[in-house]
Amino acid sequence: MKRRRRTEILVQGDPELAKHFAEMIIDRYECKEIIAPQYGLTMIKMRESAKNSLFYLGEVLITEAKVEINGCVGIGIVTGMQEQLAKYLAIIDAAYKANLPETSEWYPRLIEAEQQIRKAKAKEQGELFETKVNFETMDT
Amino acid sequence: MGYVAVKGGTKAIDASIKRLKYERLKDNEMLEVRTILSSMRGMVDRVMSESSLYSPFLAALAIKQAEGNMEEAVFLMRAHRSTLPRLYYSQIAESESMLVERRISASFKDIPGGQLLGASRDYTHRLLDFDLLFESVVENQRWIEEYKKDFERIETADDLAYFPKVVDYLRDEGLFKKYEPDNTPPADVTKKSLQFPSSRSARLQVLTRGQTGTVTSLGYASLRGYGQVHPTVGELRVGSIPIYVEHPNEVEKDEADNFYIGEIKITEVESFVPVTVKNESNEDELEFEIGYGVCYGQNETKAIAMSILDQCLEHPDSNFPTHDEEFVLLHVDSVESTGFISHLKLPHYVTFQSILDSIRQVKKEVQQDEN
Repeated sequence: MKRRRRTEILVQGDPELAKHFAEMIIDRYECKEIIAPQYGLTMIKMRESAKNSLFYLGEVLITEAKVEINGCVGIGIVTGMQEQLAKYLAIIDAAYKANLPETSEWYPRLIEAEQQIRKAKAKEQGELFETKVNFETMDT
Repeated sequence: MGYVAVKGGTKAIDASIKRLKYERLKDNEMLEVRTILSSMRGMVDRVMSESSLYSPFLAALAIKQAEGNMEEAVFLMRAHRSTLPRLYYSQIAESESMLVERRISASFKDIPGGQLLGASRDYTHRLLDFDLLFESVVENQRWIEEYKKDFERIETADDLAYFPKVVDYLRDEGLFKKYEPDNTPPADVTKKSLQFPSSRSARLQVLTRGQTGTVTSLGYASLRGYGQVHPTVGELRVGSIPIYVEHPNEVEKDEADNFYIGEIKITEVESFVPVTVKNESNEDELEFEIGYGVCYGQNETKAIAMSILDQCLEHPDSNFPTHDEEFVLLHVDSVESTGFISHLKLPHYVTFQSILDSIRQVKKEVQQDEN
């Protein structure tokens, strides 16, 4: 599974999943910490819809970590102050980079988690749709 | 006029800082950061927006430390931000990818996808709710359970709905001008001071981090006649947008290999502004332009006011202060304006004494002349 999709699942889903995957790797491989989880900023570049141009909206606090496995460096980046999750994400990223066999076992778990996330969001959206309004103009 | 520093006062300053802590603690009440996070959304959003740093947790901590003083909380956040390295730039965030929780239009009753009120105070009675004095955790929990129970009847859809932009429909109809994507790298006012004439990207960056009160007041001034923009809100949406970051070292660039790092909640507004333009036959014709406003969190008044000011500054006019970019952009920043105003209370003894000496000297000379 490509990075964009899997990070969407691991960041939005239950953090226990990332922990479970990372611990599986820690138990079996040497995980060298390149950069311990650190706080930093990501500047958000945004497109505005009036003239279709770009501007900087502002910065978002992130936690970043880097881990090396079998000579492959993995990066974990997540918004907020989430040191453990950033480290787990870095380990998982390195595992995919190093093509570790465990990663292929993760696919069904990730798909399952993705469905759960989508379901929870759809449920929340369904609840919000209760506030859908249809104003009627009055005759004057 | 030169400034002369003062020295000493260390003991009194230490005592003053202790007194500040005492004022916060003396009633034996403690406000938890998580309480602020959960119950003061409006304040947290404003602090993040005005400090230009998205972190609800840090904003809540700043509010606690500042005892609810907004300018102080924003100052604390800006100061903290300056200690952190900027590690990444995001991929272009677009609000079409927003998972909308509120979306309204004041221009059209029926917009494609429908209007979603979401959580809003727009239609509430502004009466103090004295029941809140007797609120209890148990009762609140019961209320939530009943509220959620009512949703059991709702059938969950398989897919998520993403809402199209109202303006896109109008563009397709030829009612609004279409703009090709402009990928000019944006200016960054945090790296290079604002220069005049400013670029559109610099203007939007300054306005979105502007102080809510100032942005609102200047937008209001424009409506009242100190400007020439009177818009209708075409679309206002509140929701979360995903943020992606490209891998810093990989040579092959593929969107599917980007990092998803999380989401941020924003308010975005497109205001429709009627403008008169000359057509090919040199006749006056009415056309619509769009004023754009956006800010962190749910802060609708600020986003609408920003959309007015954006439109004002797109049409410079020295007859109106709100169309003067130096006037607007140099005065909307919270830390700059509150910092400069509040520095006036710090010791200026030598400066003031020198003014006083000059006045005394003049008065003395006048008296001597009269004698």
